[in-house]
Amino acid sequence: MIQITDLEKFYKTEEVQTIALNKLSFNVKEGEFVAIMGPSGCGKSTLLNILGLLDDPDGGSFMFNGTEVAGYNERKRSELRKHNIGFVFQSFNLIDELTVFENVELPLIYTGVKPAERKIQVEAVLEKMQIMHRRNHFPQQLSGGQQQRVAVARAVVNKPKLILADEPTGNLDSTNGNEVMDLLIDLNEAGTTIIMVTHSEHDAKYSHRIIRMLDGQKVTENILA
Amino acid sequence: MFKNYFKIAFRNLIKNKVYSFINIFGLAVGMAATIMIGLWVTDELNFNNHFENKDTIAQVFQSQTINNDIGTGPAIPRPLEFALREDHTDNFKHIVMSSWEQPRYLKFGETNIYITGNAMQEGATDMLDLDIVSGVKDGLKEKNSIMLSESAAKSLFGNETALGKIVKVNNEDDLIVTSVYKDIPTNNSFSDMEYIIPWKHYVTTQPWLELSKDAWGNNSFQMFVQINENTTMDVVTSKISDVKKNASSETAQFNPQLFLLPMKDWYLRSEFENGVQSGGRIENVWLFGVIGLFILLLACINFVNLSTARSEKRATEVGIRKSIGSQRSQLIFQFLSESFLIVFLSFIVALGLVLLFLNGFNNLASKAIVFPWVNLQFWLISMAFVIITAFLAGSYPAIYLSSFNPVAVLKGTFKSGRYSSLPRKILVVAQFTVSVALIIGTLVVMNQIQFSKDRPVGYDKEGLIQIPVMSNEFIGKKEVMRNQFIASGGALEMAGTSAPMTNVWSNRSGYTWDGKPADFQEDLAYTSVSYEFVETLGLKVTAGRGFSREFASDSNAVLLNETAVKYIGLIDPIGKFIRDSDTEDPSPALKIVGVVEDMIIQSPYSPVKQAMYVFDSDDNTAFYNVRLNPEKSTSENLALIEGVFKKNFPNTPFDYQFVDEEYGAKFESEERVASLARVFTVLAIFISCLGLFGLASFVAEQRTKEIGVRKVLGASISQLWLLLSKDFITLVFIALLIASPLAYYIMGQWLQKFSYRTTVSWDVFAIACFGALIITLITVSFQAIKAATSNPVKSLRTE
Repeated sequence: MIQITDLEKFYKTEEVQTIALNKLSFNVKEGEFVAIMGPSGCGKSTLLNILGLLDDPDGGSFMFNGTEVAGYNERKRSELRKHNIGFVFQSFNLIDELTVFENVELPLIYTGVKPAERKIQVEAVLEKMQIMHRRNHFPQQLSGGQQQRVAVARAVVNKPKLILADEPTGNLDSTNGNEVMDLLIDLNEAGTTIIMVTHSEHDAKYSHRIIRMLDGQKVTENILA
Repeated sequence: MFKNYFKIAFRNLIKNKVYSFINIFGLAVGMAATIMIGLWVTDELNFNNHFENKDTIAQVFQSQTINNDIGTGPAIPRPLEFALREDHTDNFKHIVMSSWEQPRYLKFGETNIYITGNAMQEGATDMLDLDIVSGVKDGLKEKNSIMLSESAAKSLFGNETALGKIVKVNNEDDLIVTSVYKDIPTNNSFSDMEYIIPWKHYVTTQPWLELSKDAWGNNSFQMFVQINENTTMDVVTSKISDVKKNASSETAQFNPQLFLLPMKDWYLRSEFENGVQSGGRIENVWLFGVIGLFILLLACINFVNLSTARSEKRATEVGIRKSIGSQRSQLIFQFLSESFLIVFLSFIVALGLVLLFLNGFNNLASKAIVFPWVNLQFWLISMAFVIITAFLAGSYPAIYLSSFNPVAVLKGTFKSGRYSSLPRKILVVAQFTVSVALIIGTLVVMNQIQFSKDRPVGYDKEGLIQIPVMSNEFIGKKEVMRNQFIASGGALEMAGTSAPMTNVWSNRSGYTWDGKPADFQEDLAYTSVSYEFVETLGLKVTAGRGFSREFASDSNAVLLNETAVKYIGLIDPIGKFIRDSDTEDPSPALKIVGVVEDMIIQSPYSPVKQAMYVFDSDDNTAFYNVRLNPEKSTSENLALIEGVFKKNFPNTPFDYQFVDEEYGAKFESEERVASLARVFTVLAIFISCLGLFGLASFVAEQRTKEIGVRKVLGASISQLWLLLSKDFITLVFIALLIASPLAYYIMGQWLQKFSYRTTVSWDVFAIACFGALIITLITVSFQAIKAATSNPVKSLRTE
């Protein structure tokens, strides 16, 4: 599903140039659950942003479903993103002014789903995430675990092929964290490809494969299942 | 999608009440001001739009060159009518001679009213297409007829029918009401025309009118025309321009040029400079149009500044939306719909404000503007106005907010760039530049008015009334009335004059004197006056004496003002003679018996015109000028004078004007400009401060942590206050630097149109600058002190 070859990304501040990704290459097959680990600053999040088409690589190739997307413009990227990719962030990133229902509904609005159909889909995913009873609450009225469920619900409501999770349990206690990981496993078992950036060895063990990074390069790759 | 946008927008509005208030109320005030100015501008531009034939109606104007100065005005001689009817009739559908608008007494039974109207030729009713309520359309056909406006008819006859009733006019003539026409709307040059009497009746009422038939030099009339459909104003002008010059060799020396001034120009473009149309009220229309736009812009700037300043608050949302798949264009659209919502809400508040303040505005602007509820055009323009304002205010924030990089935003590493506040700063400077320039402008206008008001008028205008006595019943009564007024104790002195003391009704030429240069073309303001003219008005005699009953020869005497002495170049004028230059004229020479100080009779902004005050030996009295008794109250004096008046003229209503009030009316136009400018300046400052207040509270909020840290490290409240305020003060200071020279230049130009003018003095700038800085300090300090005095523990805990 994903093939990256010699991927490069640089960050420039006024005086220094930092190499965030240094000729990084790996593949992810459809249905796989890959964990990416490494110390802070090793380029994990940069990689995730490029994989999520939020950011552009500075060099190398990025094939998504057999198509080169590295040079895509903003419009094409956003088109591809909204139909294929869901995001789960460490800090949930829910819109404070929208209710649980409205937050989850948002991706469907952007893909042009009709209101009646949206209602069915949102309610189904809220049921599945066991957060239906909170549908009219605003994010601030929810616990961290509940907020992350909403975020996961939002990530999957469009039935994306790929979910990118950036330390999804980073802001949660272990009970809530485990629940979120179970949700991801369920999704993966249902066929969704998952790439997860994490610091937690515990969480990484849920995956099929762990890629470890350092200084923008892949150092090891462990296959767990 | 829309629902989602509006939902978010609405919830954001409710969540940030202070910012929402500043945005909505600020915009509403700006929009209300713009709507009111818009209504005013429309009303001004629609002046004289009432008549069906407005595009083909014109007034005949005349330019004459006197001593290289070209003077232009609507006064024309009577024989012009005959000349045009004889040779140029094919150009006109109507040629209508008219008198000047004049008040007359109209009496029916016991009801006596004093209203203004004109004497006009028959074509007037068709030309003006008067809306006849009852009676015949051509109501001026018979010599003894009169046409009345609906309200005049109502005041005279109540609910009785007016047609066929006989009205006594000026206690002399009995005229039959032949028709009643609908009142002419207020925004029309004929709006005061409450009656029309037939021209053929008018010209027989006074002997001089009969004589005017052949007098090309007697420019005492008006002429309105309607041109034929198949021609244009310019073509007709080119045909008639030399008619007077060719017809009269006596006036040809002044090179009289006739032209048509179209009806649409009467009100807005009626000023002429050296024979060339130079504008008029239209300048004020543009001026206020621009001010209206500026005020709207100021309000839009608040919106732009507050939206972009608070952008970090919206950044996460932008990041999330982008990561979910929103395109930039969709975000731009979202933010634009938000600004549309805010502008729409503001518009509704603005309409409320307009309804609330329209009456006050009407009073201020001397208008009768009605809110155009049922005017489709108004609503269409309003819709366009809302959309344009939404774009104006919303475009930049929308483009700015939608440009955020989602990665940076969602990672939490997003920080506005070092220069991101630069556009905001520029906009604040722009706002205060406009506000300060308006302050300076308003102060200069007010100064100019005060300067002209303080100008010595040359006579004592307080405690002086004028009683109009133009009808024939007053002829020969002057001495009797003077004696009785004084005897009553209500008056100290009285003098009759042929014109009010606040206007020149006659300008004359055709005089000669010893030593007059051969090519000198004289033009003197002419007023005939009675004995005690000097005493009644409190004039200062600088040479010679006033008229006196002790000198029988004073029946052929004249007083000159100081300007006239300089003008005609007499070194020692007393005892010299001014003669009619027409040697066959039998009238005796006028002996100069005195020189009086200049009196301001015409514009207080212009130099005093050379004037002659000729002893009135024919009783051409138009006004009794009465000096009230200073030992009694005004009301007592007026009661006594009215008693005397009523005793002598029981059938004539007692009408009078205070001369100082009449004089004050000369400042009306400029005072109106000043009071409108004052209001809009206050609004501009208010809106600018509202925005500054919002920005200051934003900055205080943004720097909460910094303030906490500084406080912990020992910063005092005053140091923190300075820290938070100095940026804003700097911006306002820059605005002062830009606004001052700009305003100096613009107001310098404005003052050029007055001959008698003040200068743009430094204290105006001092007041404006000091005022702007104080207002800024107060606005900003509130937030700065609030932040500086907050508990640092609290602010540090926010992290």
